[in-house]
Amino acid sequence: MLNRCLVITLCVVGWSVGAAAQDPGNGRLTAPAKLLAVNPPDTGTVSASLVADDPASAGVDSTPVPAASAASVDTPSATSETTSLDAERRACDGCPQRSVGKAFAHTTIINGFYGLANLIRGQETAKITPKTWWSNMQDGWVWDLDDFTVNQFGHPYQGNNYFNAARSNGLSFWESTAVTAFGSGTWEYFGETNRASLNDLINTTLGGIALGEMFHRTAWLVRDTHKTGKSRLWSEIGASALDPITGVNRFISGDSSRVSDKPSDMVPSSLAGFGSMGALWRGDQKGDFDGTPDPFLEMDMLYGDVERGRSRTPYDAFAFRLRLGGGAGISEAKVRGRLVGEPLGDGKLQFAVLQDYEYEKNDVFHTGAQSFEASLSRTWGTAPGARLLLLGWGGLTVLGAVDSLPVDLEAPPPEQENSVQGVSEGPRYYDYGPGSLFGATAIVTRNQKPLLTAFYEGRQLYSLDGVRANHFLQRFRLDLIAPVRGPLGIGVTGEFFDRHTYYQDANRTVKHYYYPQISAYLSWRIS
Amino acid sequence: MRLLRPAVFLLAAAAMCGGAIASAQTAPAASASQSPESLKGPGSDFWFMGGGSFSTIRGSCQTCEDDFPYRHSGGVVANAGYRVTSRMDAGLELFWMPMDTAEGRIHNTHVDGVAQFRPWASKGFFVKGGAGMAFVRNWVDVIGPESFNQKALSVMIGTGWVFRPHARVGLEVFAAQHAAALGDLQTSSGQIPDVMGNFWSLGGGIVIR
Repeated sequence: MLNRCLVITLCVVGWSVGAAAQDPGNGRLTAPAKLLAVNPPDTGTVSASLVADDPASAGVDSTPVPAASAASVDTPSATSETTSLDAERRACDGCPQRSVGKAFAHTTIINGFYGLANLIRGQETAKITPKTWWSNMQDGWVWDLDDFTVNQFGHPYQGNNYFNAARSNGLSFWESTAVTAFGSGTWEYFGETNRASLNDLINTTLGGIALGEMFHRTAWLVRDTHKTGKSRLWSEIGASALDPITGVNRFISGDSSRVSDKPSDMVPSSLAGFGSMGALWRGDQKGDFDGTPDPFLEMDMLYGDVERGRSRTPYDAFAFRLRLGGGAGISEAKVRGRLVGEPLGDGKLQFAVLQDYEYEKNDVFHTGAQSFEASLSRTWGTAPGARLLLLGWGGLTVLGAVDSLPVDLEAPPPEQENSVQGVSEGPRYYDYGPGSLFGATAIVTRNQKPLLTAFYEGRQLYSLDGVRANHFLQRFRLDLIAPVRGPLGIGVTGEFFDRHTYYQDANRTVKHYYYPQISAYLSWRIS
Repeated sequence: MRLLRPAVFLLAAAAMCGGAIASAQTAPAASASQSPESLKGPGSDFWFMGGGSFSTIRGSCQTCEDDFPYRHSGGVVANAGYRVTSRMDAGLELFWMPMDTAEGRIHNTHVDGVAQFRPWASKGFFVKGGAGMAFVRNWVDVIGPESFNQKALSVMIGTGWVFRPHARVGLEVFAAQHAAALGDLQTSSGQIPDVMGNFWSLGGGIVIR
């Protein structure tokens, strides 16, 4: 009965949404921020940028200030540009046209696309009907039993599509988080026949936000909106490979060929990239190393300056790492984005609130997590010379997954036949639960080139679903890089992976696994 | 009767789609003279809500064969938070639902960090989501005469509408779903693995800004 009432309420709310959409007064997002620069002399267009040192702007999201809010700008060209931007519902010259309705509609289309793809692949869970929708609504959430990679990698990627459906329709970061949750929730209830999964809802939403904003900003690095012709086309195609939803929307709307400035908040204050390619050797618990090296390719990107500045623009600074090979296809994928930044005291200390997406596979743990943490950092020295950065952090994991075996098993049994295309009926050999994390890093640089990096992180997960256990995962890493010529360098890395699993069985069994790993590589720096 | 549920649901889905399409076809224009004070909306930036709900709960577990019943009761909901932007609030939510059963009174308390998003700043429609902790006492009906307390991971999603006849005071109606992921539930008759509680609520409350 109550469920029926709920549906009727949804019906009423839905109509109300339609009514709200007709409201002429629902203005585009604007923000109380100072306008720094107007009318660049070369283009004559109005561009705006936010400064974050205005107390009134605390908490204001990152959507650029529409030119309309620049009350002091009253030149005829600026006025006509403002009118033009208003007419096109753009927050800035290079921004996409804003449409909340399209953001939700595109999210629904993405769900339809994924559902159709699953149906074509012959997946049983794709055969949805109104009956399965109703059944899912009646049953509520459960933990699902799908493959680790599907849940910790596939779902966050799908969430990134929802997020960018909103970003590409002109919504701000925070607004796009709600659309991501909407996409995730509707997929879980209406996109599959199996019951709605709580772990998918969290992973798709939080992972989708982290991956989505990272891909969105990275795609804007590739996109050159001043170019025309073939070079422009290729820059748009390259960007679309990273952020396909924004790419498709730009091709459909014609923005892919429109010459404009980039949105000011999509231009990072600094950018650095590091690539390293080499081989690694994994040891065992006795300290012996396997003689056969594993090749690997590691890519790091530092977008923006996470070390300084007051910021309320989410992901104006983030770090991304991807390691391919080294014992697994993808052995590490990590996004750490700044949500809030604040200098403390005389500015020597920097406080930040960060969001993490993490996926890691090595010989002692296979883990994936969605976390939030607070960090404190301090820098000594100045940029041209030698610098030392110390950074410490601690936070909460909303939901983490870690591979796990029942206490009486030493290895997982052979692949289950009922695991079809990632959808499984169980058993599942990994656990889900919330937890905590903490860590520290020290980085020594000279002439902006890293010479030494020491990194430690500990992660605790309390298993809510799976084997009853507390998992404590630790990782230590030390990098030494010697510059060779220009951006090239050679490096060696020592790593140590450690895992304690505290079973909550009658005997309170504790299992301990660890191993060292060393690698040698050629590195190059892009900045 | 058999067709009623799907028909009602399709109606709801059609209405939602109608809303989305209608909004896609409109071209709202921003006011060029909008002052900074009006950008976040009327009232203060603090947000409080207190109200009640009619709620249904159902406990279930992954490996259980039992068909657990739906149980209905009243609940109390309170929110306190801060307006981050004109379209977004962030804060805390408390959801408390006591319920009498033959085995005793079940207490469910959810404390969640929540974010509330209004797609249209000048309208009352909102969607909401969050996560936190749930504290559950005396859970599923297979429980014995002894009571047990259990902490759980809590997740909530919801939607609703705020009617605001006054800048600072309004009336809110909402629909929400809370989930409490308890993991193993200790009962006097043994351990029940992977227990999940789902709560569906319809309610209303007073909003103060």
